[in-house]
This record gives sequence, C-alpha cells and structure tokens, in this order.
Amino acid sequence: MVVITTKKPVEEVLNVLKDNNAKKLFLVSCGVCSALCQTGGEQGLEEWKEILEKEGYEIVNGLVVDDVCDNREMAKVVRKNDADIQNADAIVTLSCGLGVQSTIEVLSKKHPQKKVFVTNNTEFMGMTERIGRFYMRCRGCGDCLLNETGGICPITTCAKSLMNGPCGGMVNGKCEVGNYEKDCGWVLIYNRLKEIGRLDLFSKLRDPVDWSESGHQREVIWR
Amino acid sequence: MTVITTKKPFEEILSVLKDVKKIGLVSCGSCAAMCQTGGTEGAKEMAEKLEKEGFEVIVTIVPEEVCDNRLMMKDFRQIDEDLKNIDAILTLSCGLGVASIVKALERKYPLIPVFIGTNTEFMGMTERIGRFYMHCRGCGDCLLNETGGICPITTCAKSLMNGPCGGMVNGKCEVGNYEKDCGWVLIYNRLKALGRLDLFSKLRDPVNWSESGHQREVVWR
Amino acid sequence: MVEKKIYSKLGEKLANGDFILTGELEPEKTCDLSHTIQEAKEMAPYVVAANVTDSPLGIVTINSMAASHIIQKEAGLEVIWQLTVRDVNKLGIAGMIMGGHALGLRNVLSLTGDHPALGDMPESKPVFDLDSATLVRLVKEMVDKGTINGHEIEHPPTLHVGAAANPNADPMEAEILKIGRKAQAGCEFIQTQVVYDLDRTIEFLSEIKKYNVPVLLGIFPMKSYGIAKGFDTFVPGVDVPKDILAKWKNIKTEFKDDKKEQKRVYDQANYEFFKPFISELKRKGLLAGVHCMAVHYPRIFPKLMEVIQA
Ligand code: SF4
Ligand code: SF4
Ligand code: SF4
Ligand code: SF4
Repeated sequence: MVVITTKKPVEEVLNVLKDNNAKKLFLVSCGVCSALCQTGGEQGLEEWKEILEKEGYEIVNGLVVDDVCDNREMAKVVRKNDADIQNADAIVTLSCGLGVQSTIEVLSKKHPQKKVFVTNNTEFMGMTERIGRFYMRCRGCGDCLLNETGGICPITTCAKSLMNGPCGGMVNGKCEVGNYEKDCGWVLIYNRLKEIGRLDLFSKLRDPVDWSESGHQREVIWR
Repeated sequence: MTVITTKKPFEEILSVLKDVKKIGLVSCGSCAAMCQTGGTEGAKEMAEKLEKEGFEVIVTIVPEEVCDNRLMMKDFRQIDEDLKNIDAILTLSCGLGVASIVKALERKYPLIPVFIGTNTEFMGMTERIGRFYMHCRGCGDCLLNETGGICPITTCAKSLMNGPCGGMVNGKCEVGNYEKDCGWVLIYNRLKALGRLDLFSKLRDPVNWSESGHQREVVWR
Repeated sequence: MVEKKIYSKLGEKLANGDFILTGELEPEKTCDLSHTIQEAKEMAPYVVAANVTDSPLGIVTINSMAASHIIQKEAGLEVIWQLTVRDVNKLGIAGMIMGGHALGLRNVLSLTGDHPALGDMPESKPVFDLDSATLVRLVKEMVDKGTINGHEIEHPPTLHVGAAANPNADPMEAEILKIGRKAQAGCEFIQTQVVYDLDRTIEFLSEIKKYNVPVLLGIFPMKSYGIAKGFDTFVPGVDVPKDILAKWKNIKTEFKDDKKEQKRVYDQANYEFFKPFISELKRKGLLAGVHCMAVHYPRIFPKLMEVIQA
C-alpha cells in the first residue's frame, strides 16, 4: 500500500477528456494505495464525480476497487459491469500507472478499443510517516545493498546514487543538490556504520550497479 | 500491495548475520506476503532455517505494513522487552521496510542493526500470484493519457519519449533476443486502433530530470 | 619490484620525486579557445601540466577532451584531462579513454562532477554510472591489463590516472576512507580541494600518507579582494580566513589609485601567505607538489615558483 500518487491538475485531465471526445465516463477508484494518498478511494471518487458532473460529463458508473493493479480484481469488476463499460466512452482510473495498464489488459479481450485515462501522477514507492508525509526510500534496484550500508539506501538517499560515496559535494553533512537542505546519504551511511562499529563496510570498494537486467518490461514470475 | 520482492539467497543472508546470534524477525503482512517473501508463511520458513543454523529467533512479528512508521512504532512498543534482548533485526519486507524500522527505532534503539532478507524489484501489476509485471516506474509526470495507456518509460527498453528506435523486428524489441514486444509498436498499434495517431506524431520533450531522484518526498500536511 | 611505467611528464616528475607545480584552465561556453590557449602559454614555463575542467558546477562548456587536445597541441603544455562520471555511462567513458589517448592525452583526473541540478541544464539525466573510484579502476584495467570488462583492446591506452580529495570534508574520516578506496582502485596521484587551515591540512595529509599516493595541494592565490570574497561566498565548504579577507580589502582601498602597485602588493601578499604554509607541509614530507587552481591569474606563477622552490 505504498505506491505514492499525486493529483494531476484538473485542467490537464479535463483537456484529455475533451481532446478524446469522451463524454460518458466509467470511474474506477483505487481503494488501496491511492486511497491512502487521497488521490483515490471513496473520497477521490466523490470529488471527481462532482467535478466531472459540473462540467457536463455523464458518469455511467463509479466504483472503488480494492486493487486496481491486480488483474484478478479488475477482471471481476469488468465481468460485473459489462453493460456500463460498453456504454461508456472511456474509463477513468484514480490510481497509479499500474492501474491503467491493468485495466487495459483486462479489457483487451472484450473491449480492446476502450480508452482508459488516469487522473494521477505516480511518484514512487513510499514509506509512510503519516498520512500526507511519504518518502522515497527504495527504488527497487533488485539487488539490495542495505545489509552493507547500515540499512540506509545509497541509491535513494544519495542524489547521484553513488556506490562509493560521498562525492565531496557535501557541506556539514548536507548535499550539494537542493541548496544544502537535505542530508548527504553517504554521510548518513558513514555515521550509522560508525555507530554500529562496521566502518570496514564503508571502506569497501563497490562495483557499479549492474544495469544489464534493468528496465525493460521487468517481471517476476515463479509460477 | 504491489511492491514486488524476491528472496535473497539464504547463503547471502547467513554471511550478513555472521556476528549475530539473537534475532528479531519482522515479516511484512502486505506486499511481501503476497509475493511469498514475507507474511506468516515467510516468517515461519525463515525462523526454521535460522534455528537450524543455530540462531535464536527471540521474537517474530508480522506487521500489517512494515513501510508505515505508525504501525511499526505500535508493534515495537509491544515487544519492547524482546528488543532489549536481540543482536539484530532481520526484516522480510521491501527496502522501505528497513528505512521504516530504522526510523521507528531511532529514539530508543538506534544501535540495533537492521538486515533484510529480500531484494526489492519494482512496483508491479499482478496478473495472479507468482506473475508480476513492471508497468510503471513512478516518473511523477504521467504520460499514459497521451500514449494510449501504455507506458513508454517501462515498456520501451530505452525509455524513449519519441520511439520506436528502429531496433524492432516484427514488432519485437532488439533487447532480449526479440522476445518482448517493442513498447512503441504497442503504443502505435493502440493509438491507431483508437483513432489517435495524431498523438503518436507529436514530438515530445526529453524527460525532465531536475526534480528526480534525491530523497523524493510527497508532503502535504 | 615492478618498474613503474611512465607515460607523461607529470608521471615522470612524480616518479622522480620532484616537487612540482600544476595549473588549471577553465574553457568556457565557446568553440574558440584562443583565450585559454593564451593563458596556457603564459603558465607553460612554470607548470609541469595544467588541468582542463569538465563543465564545473554543471554549467555546460566545451567538451573537456576536445579542449584538452587543442590546448596541448596549440600551447605546447601538457594537460591533465578532467573527466567526470556525471554525463556519460561506462560504455561511453571507456570509448573516451581510448579517444583521449589517441588525441595525445596522457593524464586523466577522475571526478564525480557537480550534479546537473546545480547547473544551467538541470533537466539533464544525471548519469553517474561509474563513480570516481570505479573510473580510476576502469582506466587502470585498460592501461595495465589492456582490457575493458575482460575484453581485449587492440592497442591499449597509456594514461596516468589521478583523483581528487577534499581536506575540508566533514566528516573527515569518511573522506579519508574514500581516498583509501581510490588508492585501492589504483589512483596514481591526488589533487586536493583548496584549503586554508594549516592544522587541518596537516592532520588530513598525515592520515592519507598511508596510501602512498603523491599529493598535490590545491591552493587558490587571490588576484583581488573581489575574487577572494567571491571564492569565500560561492565555493561551498571552503572559507577564506577572516584576516586574509581583511588584508585583501585593505590592499583594495589603499592602492586604489595605483593599479600597478596594487597588483604588485596583491602578488606579494599571496607569496607571504602561501610560502610558510607550503614550506611547512613540504618540510613534513606530506606533499609532492602544489596545484594552483586560480584561473585567469597567470602572472602569479613566477612568484609561486619561488614558493615551491623555497
Ligand atoms: S539498495 Fe535501495 S533501491 Fe536497492 S532494493 Fe535496497 S533499498 Fe531498494
Ligand atoms: S553530497 Fe552526498 S548525497 Fe549528495 S550527491 Fe554527494 S554523496 Fe550523494
Ligand atoms: S508515464 Fe509510466 S512511469 Fe510515468 S507515471 Fe505514468 S505509468 Fe508511471
Ligand atoms: S525496439 Fe522498441 S522497445 Fe526496444 S528500445 Fe527500440 S523503441 Fe524501445
């Protein structure tokens, strides 16, 4: 429940709908991560219904779905609401980018031409301090280093994602990027490794990140 | 429930726990449970393996979400006695879980090392249990409304904004032996089917990286 | 014992243990390097080599490999080609190392580079595929083993590779351990950031002595009060001592009507500050030479020669 989303400006979304001539809409609001981020859930659904109705759009249906990014959940929704989907010009998802693609995938057999739009920008996988305070602390590099870096991730806390930091650009432990306001990730790592008596790990010369398996339509499949 | 994790090799975990005897096990009840790297099952499996190797598993908790500081603080309050008694924590969660645990412990137990038993892969779409796909990388400025709902940042091997690159053969990408679909051919086909090839013709700016990467946060209260 | 291979004048002087002076050139956003070449010619009689910077502060300038080649050819001054890992991935960098060699470059300084967010194209993708230590290791593999990632190079490059160090860094120990990594990667010389605090410098240099890498101390002779003040304000993490700033301010006002005399007094003041500073470090055997980072101030070099020869 940690994919952090923010709202796209209403204008941007309205323009997309206008540009695509979509008048009758089926809203799908994510009940999990996006609900936590208040970009989806019941609350987001009500907000968007109101905005869109005021602008003259017809809301054919509006649903909160437990996990929009789970094909199985979406398949159920599609099965139960087939007539409404048929009748809508487009589906609008209040979810992360995964939700949109999950919806398209599930619709691909019966409604391949159905347009799917999204109201959110997807930011990162976030740690929650409390509602409204979310922090990027992991980027999913696939080969976790945390056991060697005192539990602090250099890929996310160092502005240059260095494997052998610090770069020398820090002043009083603050990073050169962003006006010396954020902590230098590598100073944090140094301090922590020192505290726990493991500076030997700090001295280690580390290989660059292996990018050979990164990026392209990654998948985890074990059955 | 979409942060996809895989298990680290057990030997790697053992080598990390070299100087550790007494362990507190934290196993995520949410995403990692779904990926079968955490949850009650994962915790049980790990505890058994560790005990066989002579470790003492002093306490095991399966929090609902390890990445949520509030939940972790609550859960740790209940095992305060045990925390005094352990050498290290091993967490079966994503990388966020470690950050969250370190933060939750920072006042009372700043010196407890926190280790992790998984690798964090990506935010994934679930087809079914055991089939997870990366379809979004959280670029922060979503393009899907212009690309027919297919993300070029994740489906194009070069994350091109103005693809295809010419490297595709029969709609398959040059990366990975022409086995995967070229993302930009998918986008082309879909926009064509939707009658929106005008969007395909558009020249797009490069990704703006100026706000990317560094300890990103979303803070609105 | 393996004989140390020598590829450049810098390499030779360092191997001989000569106490040397290096300079710095900063090409700008231009395709015409005549000003830089002129400056290079003026410092050439005094320095062994000069660094050519690679878009410092993330502000785009002419490419440092091209500029290094042109300066070396036109001014007849050996260069230390600065190469950051900011803009090019390792595949590109390996190609550049061969290209740099083919263009006659024989010294390269491995740097992380200031983040693009600081500069004038902040939307750029920050690359940092390698870091300053793994770039050193890559160059050493190419030069010493004649391979890249295990693949043979038909005619391998021959360059000396150096790295940077910052004595002002806080925490200092983290910086020291990092220099250890660079040394382990095979770094052949170190040029430091500018530093004004003698005690701190002694502590720092004594700590890194164990790595056995020759160190050139970065200094910044200040051409005028304006430049001293600017340096103090704009270079993060380096403070120009208050008494120096006061002295330079004084020179500015006292000699404002006699520019020629003012120049002489500024030069003399630099001499008086740096002479005891360098002498002390030299006496303690902590230095292999001095790296003067003041650009557009070539007239100071005769004075600096006196400093290093003292
Ligand atoms: S090293 Fe960082 S980015 Fe990689 S899996 Fe661990 S926490 Fe995530
Ligand atoms: S100052 Fe620290 S966090 Fe910032 S780029 Fe350098 S090493 Fe990374
Ligand atoms: S464009 Fe792609 S990476 Fe960016 S938010 Fe949308 S789905 Fe995610
Ligand atoms: S073939 Fe297609 S998916 Fe592959 S890199 Fe080129 S444009 Fe991207």
